[in-house]
Amino acid sequence: MSVTVVPWWAAAVAVTAATAAVASLWLLGGSGKRGKGDAEVSSDPDADTSVPELDVVGSGSSFFHRWDPRCKILSLVFFSFMAVSLNHGFELGVGLAVAAGSLAVAGTPLRAAARRLSAMSGFLLILLVIMPLTVPFHEGDRRIVLEGVPFLSFNARGFVLAGRICAKAVIVAVLMEPLLKTAPFSVTMAAVQRLGVPVLLCQMILLMYRYVFVFRHEMQRMWVGMTVRGFRSRSGWQTLGHLGCFLGMLFVRSMERTQRVYEAMLCRGYTGVFPSTVRFCATPRDWAWSALWVGAALGLFALDRWQGAVARLLGF
Amino acid sequence: MHLSDGVLPTVVAVGSFAASGLCVAVSIKKTDGEELPKIAVMTSAFFVASLIHVPLGPTSVHLLLPGLVGILTGWSAFLSIFLGLVLQSFLFQFGGLTALGANGLMMGLPAWFAAWLFRRIGARGATGAVVVAAVASAAAVALAALILAALLATGGEDFFGVAKIAVAAHVPVLVVEGVISAFVVSFLLKVKPELLQHPAGRPSP
Amino acid sequence: MHWQATPVAPRSPSEAVLFELDDVSYTYPDGKEALRGVSLSVFEGEKIALVGQNGSGKTTLAKVLCGLISPSRGRVMFDGRAVGKDALSDLRRRVGILFQDPDDHLFCNRLADDVAFGPLNDGASSEQASAIVAEMLDLVGLGAHAAKAPHHLSYGQRKRAALAAILARRPSVLILDEPTANLDSKNTEMLLDVLHRFSGTLLCISHDLMFLYGLCRRAVVLHRGAVHHDTDFEALIAHRPSLRDHGLDFTFRFLCCSGHHGVPAHGDPDPEGFSRRGQERFHHESPASKPLSHALHSFAHPREKPVSDSMEARTGPPLIALEDYSYRYPDGTWGLRGVSLHMKDGERIALLGENGAGKSTLASILVGIRTGRGVYRFRGEIVRGRVSKELWRFVGIVFQDSMDQMVSSSCFDEVAFGLKHLGFTGSRLSRRVHEALARVGLDGMAERVPHHLSAGERKRLSLAAVLAMEPRVLILDEPTANLDPENEERLLGILDDLSTTLILISHDICFVSALTDRTVVLHRGCVVQDLPTAQFLMDDRLQSLYGLDVTYHNRCCRQILSMHGA
Repeated sequence: MSVTVVPWWAAAVAVTAATAAVASLWLLGGSGKRGKGDAEVSSDPDADTSVPELDVVGSGSSFFHRWDPRCKILSLVFFSFMAVSLNHGFELGVGLAVAAGSLAVAGTPLRAAARRLSAMSGFLLILLVIMPLTVPFHEGDRRIVLEGVPFLSFNARGFVLAGRICAKAVIVAVLMEPLLKTAPFSVTMAAVQRLGVPVLLCQMILLMYRYVFVFRHEMQRMWVGMTVRGFRSRSGWQTLGHLGCFLGMLFVRSMERTQRVYEAMLCRGYTGVFPSTVRFCATPRDWAWSALWVGAALGLFALDRWQGAVARLLGF
Repeated sequence: MHLSDGVLPTVVAVGSFAASGLCVAVSIKKTDGEELPKIAVMTSAFFVASLIHVPLGPTSVHLLLPGLVGILTGWSAFLSIFLGLVLQSFLFQFGGLTALGANGLMMGLPAWFAAWLFRRIGARGATGAVVVAAVASAAAVALAALILAALLATGGEDFFGVAKIAVAAHVPVLVVEGVISAFVVSFLLKVKPELLQHPAGRPSP
Repeated sequence: MHWQATPVAPRSPSEAVLFELDDVSYTYPDGKEALRGVSLSVFEGEKIALVGQNGSGKTTLAKVLCGLISPSRGRVMFDGRAVGKDALSDLRRRVGILFQDPDDHLFCNRLADDVAFGPLNDGASSEQASAIVAEMLDLVGLGAHAAKAPHHLSYGQRKRAALAAILARRPSVLILDEPTANLDSKNTEMLLDVLHRFSGTLLCISHDLMFLYGLCRRAVVLHRGAVHHDTDFEALIAHRPSLRDHGLDFTFRFLCCSGHHGVPAHGDPDPEGFSRRGQERFHHESPASKPLSHALHSFAHPREKPVSDSMEARTGPPLIALEDYSYRYPDGTWGLRGVSLHMKDGERIALLGENGAGKSTLASILVGIRTGRGVYRFRGEIVRGRVSKELWRFVGIVFQDSMDQMVSSSCFDEVAFGLKHLGFTGSRLSRRVHEALARVGLDGMAERVPHHLSAGERKRLSLAAVLAMEPRVLILDEPTANLDPENEERLLGILDDLSTTLILISHDICFVSALTDRTVVLHRGCVVQDLPTAQFLMDDRLQSLYGLDVTYHNRCCRQILSMHGA
């Protein structure tokens, strides 16, 4: 087992770089105002960037926008599953390139993609720190030790494992943007339903999505109502008590609303299924592109699994 | 804690999707047809509620609420949790797309457990109900932590360390969720006790 | 109790009977008896106003008529055929109902989908549905918003969209539950316009008798689940005792706005008589409410103090000073532009303006919820940082929707909420809470659950919660929204007694005239008028500018006054 001693300044540089990366993602995503935990008095009730919308954004005419939604969903989801099965750096790199390229082609705002990445960053950073510390040392593993801190030893293989996970997570997160933001949500769900997911589930998701905004506004107003009477979210019994009542009130109001919504649906002739007028019409080109994506995914997977064999075949 | 993509071996991820799918089917079957739209709207409320950060010492914790969802929706809880996870993934990237099945199992089964526990102990009296709710919620979070650890462990011994840390990280969450559930249930008992007696789905056994 | 009004003369047989209710009763699963032996005939094409106090069964009756619930006893005939439990869907097909909250009706992700929902369920093809969608959205003035999601629309737009969605099924009967609640005058006019063009049968539940005056011919008054009156609408309006007994007496408005309708104040020239009547009313009310005679007495002598006197009485630096304040929303639109406002301690001003003029935005800036650009001084100190964070101690605000300020499981806790954050504990806390509850007429209700209170009681509770904190400045955002006339009158009495600096945001001209000395009009984020209230009220032209449009309201007042006075 080989040991590498890392001088403290190198470690410092690495940590700073990581912090800077995460911070820039966080700032780019503007995710400072997510959720209603930050109860500053000037928590601007207009900064409703907290719940992003799953609707058509961007130019509206990119390849992804024009692609038949069923083909698009099938291809991108298949690719995602293949991507999380990859193990080698080169293939993961190709995957990242494909994801980044798709984002660029789709033209959806970078801010949203940055938010997705910063949402995962906490979890991934923890993995990057914990895994090297806890992965058992095997034959041939490199041990990394910080200069001056001999009792902490990192397993290089741990970094590799964590890095692999990060790459996979980033690929799929980035692909979510072209997947979800290039068609109205009702169209996306209709496509998902045509692909075999039960219609009830799709309709429930659409209904749920609609009321998220209504309840978000209600919650916001209620939160402001508490703030103007002096409530500040701080550690402690009192805050928990107030939050408990706040949530209880939210649930009571929403329960009453569900009853009213259901009655309104009945009065407009609801028979158990939402009527849909979405029509899909896939051209052979759409299917051809799907085949290309699926083929590329399979090819990448094959390359990943049989890298050694392929290399020999090609004479390397 | 929601799993992101790439943590689990693909076989496990796909298998969890199948298992989750089965549970969702069971959940739907056990729910009255006419209650389904109501469950959808109610899940919106749970979703919005989970956006609140509860301060805990120097940081803040993001509520998971499997316990409360279970108590309030009974058999429909798995469905409700699953739908909530779908939107959390789509909107906020809390949990990866390929990990939806696994996250569903991780949160949905504890919700069912909390529902069962709450009905089973069937406390008489207000204080009793509040205590049972707190215990059921805390137990649900504990179960979620265990399922998470089990899922992580399928990745091999390399992940054992992470699994242990994940379980430990859930301990403060467990306490907070238990306390919050107690307050919520005590509020509901005074204001709208029907919500606890007749959950939107059929009550679990 | 006053004598029963004589029933309407029987109609000629050629007019078709649409609904025939025979001794209909309904009891809710929790045991509450909502309807008791209601017998009613509704003829085709009639426009009926369904009125009565809260809890009198109006909404339940509406639900029976639209097929949502089946009566526990009695018989409902629709179009000559009995409506059994299995025929409910047919009834729902022909009867449309618009609930109070438009968000309950808009459950799709695009307006076009919502409007098409009904026709598609009825079997229309997608082309037919598209045509209907276009027609309906044009009818309510939302043609350009067909692809928008409902949460991007304002309240008034959503209300109209909900109406379009219901009219899309071309119902022959339309039932409206409190259509004008929270609606500003411009949207109310648009709504009235659409309703006037509706040729079917109309049943409207409302407290807003002005709105109903132009729309309905017949009035059905419910009292405790039974029909108490079934008469001509004009006859009901003209008969003040029956209005009073059903909590609908809105004539207090004519007293407090003496003479601004261009008609000499016929009102009540005899203050003693009014006090006596006030005391009579008191006996009908619950023991918990405060005697109104004292408050009513002041109405007989509306604010006659010359404006200049009251202004000079206040000396010293302004309490609130906004200089050239601007606020921009995240999406780029301007909320406020170069607003300058000075208020002295003890002043009472009204903030008027159409929806979207910036009134609520200005209020939130004064409370410290929002910050824009410009100088805001409170008690001489510039508001930012530390001062901004502590502003809530001095500036209290009561929101339009009292439900937004209810987060406790008992009235005591609700009022104590703010006090605890101010540092009150123990017996001091208890005393302040009980004082505040007594002031708004809710003493004895400390242990009640706020959610179970009526709308009027909740409004008074949210007011109590803020008054208990004894703020220097009190901002009221549309205090009369959703209240019936009886509760409005009560609220007026409570507010009149206050001595805090007051900022009143309201569409209600009568409240403005009774409570304020000075009126500030906002239009598109700028202050366009800042003048004494009395002067504003005299000027008819001013009242119709800037989208305020109270001329319709004034016209109704004049007509009704002449009905009473003559």
